[in-house]
Amino acid sequence: MSTPLPVLIVIPAWNEAANLAAVVTELRASRPHDGIAIVDDGSLDATSEEARRLGCVLLRLPLHLGYGVAVQTGIKYALRAGDRIVVTFDGDGQHDPAEVEALVAAVREGADVAVGSRFLSAASYRGGPSRRTGRWVFSQLAGALTGIRLTDPTSGLKALGPRAQSLFASTRFPDRFPDADALVLARRARLVIVERPACMRRSQNRHSMHGGYRAVAYTFNMLLSLLVAASGRESDLRG
Amino acid sequence: MPIRQKVFFLTIALLLLVAIIELIRRRRLRVEYSWLWIASGVTIIVLILRYELLIQITVAVGAVVPTSTIFFFCILYLALLSLNYSVRLTELTRQVKELAQEIALLRAEEARPQRPDRGGSHS
Repeated sequence: MSTPLPVLIVIPAWNEAANLAAVVTELRASRPHDGIAIVDDGSLDATSEEARRLGCVLLRLPLHLGYGVAVQTGIKYALRAGDRIVVTFDGDGQHDPAEVEALVAAVREGADVAVGSRFLSAASYRGGPSRRTGRWVFSQLAGALTGIRLTDPTSGLKALGPRAQSLFASTRFPDRFPDADALVLARRARLVIVERPACMRRSQNRHSMHGGYRAVAYTFNMLLSLLVAASGRESDLRG
Repeated sequence: MPIRQKVFFLTIALLLLVAIIELIRRRRLRVEYSWLWIASGVTIIVLILRYELLIQITVAVGAVVPTSTIFFFCILYLALLSLNYSVRLTELTRQVKELAQEIALLRAEEARPQRPDRGGSHS
């Protein structure tokens, strides 16, 4: 290892025009050498204009295809641009730029995936009881299916090394339910997954995807997707 | 099977076949999807002309009346057909996703032409 891999911060953004300036400014102040790519996931507001105005790389999807597809677009961009460490970072201000360094360091030390966990950090994040229960169930299930014990498998703050990027850019990537399932997939491909504590804030403008009646359908689909990610031949995942 | 019924159903089956062939001819239906529809039309005609075949099938599967044989196979056929459509929709969804991503990546490349072309592999 002569020169360390450059870092690309990927921010999936859907109608986040109001939050982007604050998020990007704060990121730049804390991490001046990292590239920032904003994936506009078919926003109806001025997200793209805002990204351009801030001088970020803009990846503009012509349709709204969801968080997983947006993240994967950023990963594909990183792969084409050459060897990089990808950090996925939320566009709503809930992630703290100060937490990025520990994740990047973990990948530089040989991890393929480094997950920022709300539950390992000193400042505890709680969330509502239903979210906590859901997260606990997924964590247990992912553990039972793959043997990994993660405290926060649905965290959106992750650092990915080149091997994880190649896997997540493939058609095996569960783009509808990317949180825990992508980690199950990574584990089955024998990638090294680590967790680092990361404290998170309340988001400023959250259109949550885990609310109301949709939560039931989401949970069911995610469980199914988890089983799919955990099935199939391991030989398909390598090479 | 009374002659009146035979004529009625035969007319419908023939109209179906004509519609299918016309759709293919006008390029409204892709040839690779059309064999299934032609096969369906032909099967109906064969069963009308050779009713005893339907009775043989009914006996073979252990059904009591030919109508239930017909209904059973029709429902099975429709179920398989929609399963097939789901598979195709999945494939189309994946293709749309990849096209959208490709558009995003190409737009980004266009926006910054100073970046040296790395000649990514097009496999």
